[in-house]
Amino acid sequence: MPEWNDDQILEAIRTPGNEEAAFNQLVANYQERLYWHIRKILVDHDDTDDVLQNTFIKVWRSLPDFRGDSELYTWLYRIATNEALTFLKKKKKQAFAPWVEVEHKMSESLESDPWFNGDEIQLRLQQAIIKLPEKQRIVFNMRYFDNIKYEEMASILNTSVGALKASYHHAVKKIEEMLGDD
Amino acid sequence: MGNKRKIPDLQHESLKKQPFSVPDGYFESFSDRLHARIREEEQTTPVRRITIFTRPWVAMAAAILSIALISYPILRFALPDNRPSSPSDVAWMDEFYLMEDDFYLVEYLESEEEEMNDQEAFASQAMDYLAINDVEMILLLE
Repeated sequence: MPEWNDDQILEAIRTPGNEEAAFNQLVANYQERLYWHIRKILVDHDDTDDVLQNTFIKVWRSLPDFRGDSELYTWLYRIATNEALTFLKKKKKQAFAPWVEVEHKMSESLESDPWFNGDEIQLRLQQAIIKLPEKQRIVFNMRYFDNIKYEEMASILNTSVGALKASYHHAVKKIEEMLGDD
Repeated sequence: MGNKRKIPDLQHESLKKQPFSVPDGYFESFSDRLHARIREEEQTTPVRRITIFTRPWVAMAAAILSIALISYPILRFALPDNRPSSPSDVAWMDEFYLMEDDFYLVEYLESEEEEMNDQEAFASQAMDYLAINDVEMILLLE
């Protein structure tokens, strides 16, 4: 099956009887990108798998109401980000622990994670990223690893370019400080 | 005070490489697993939807009922009443204490549990609504 672009997917979604085929194409086009976006927020593969499924289930249920006010790509990233943040909040609540403890566990589990292949410096970088506040973590990951433009990030997170640049700047400073400390 | 290490250059391309991996065949099988889960969820009973409009009335009804349950026995014993208790009063009070001791506690615990689930479902729905309807995501991050 030839790959459809976003416009073709949206057109198919609005054509009765084509919704499922359009959704399948949407999943095929976006599963990897959304997976890596969520994975960088949650770190753990199994958690990411759960949240990615939740994301697409939300997308499937909300597709009939998608008005196309924003780009499909922006809309999907926004739902994925929201699902990942909701998952983190639930995790903190279930652990009955402050964020520092959850963060400490995430950081420790990274060392024994069979699906982490980074070297020592990459491990230290990931551990530093985990310690960032959620907002800075998301902004840093999107900019640093995915090289997403500030303008695109602004539409995904519905905030200003200036605020995103400030968040990224603070994140870089904190990471450099953390990597410099023993 | 920690010793200072050499700070890795964040602009170094090797640091920007993806350090994570996935199990073999993960993406190839993802779509099938997703569809299986969607089918499974569609077969189960739909989750009861809670709307913003009904919740205040539920809360108000619960508050009135609670006040009535608490104030009746207090008023009944605090206010002077020289009438001898009728058999029906005694029967009602026995029933009340039984309810307070046993049924009420069980019901309360069950309703608390249900309320917690309702709250979580409500919060989740609110978050979804905000995300899907372009409400500023940064607000969700606070």
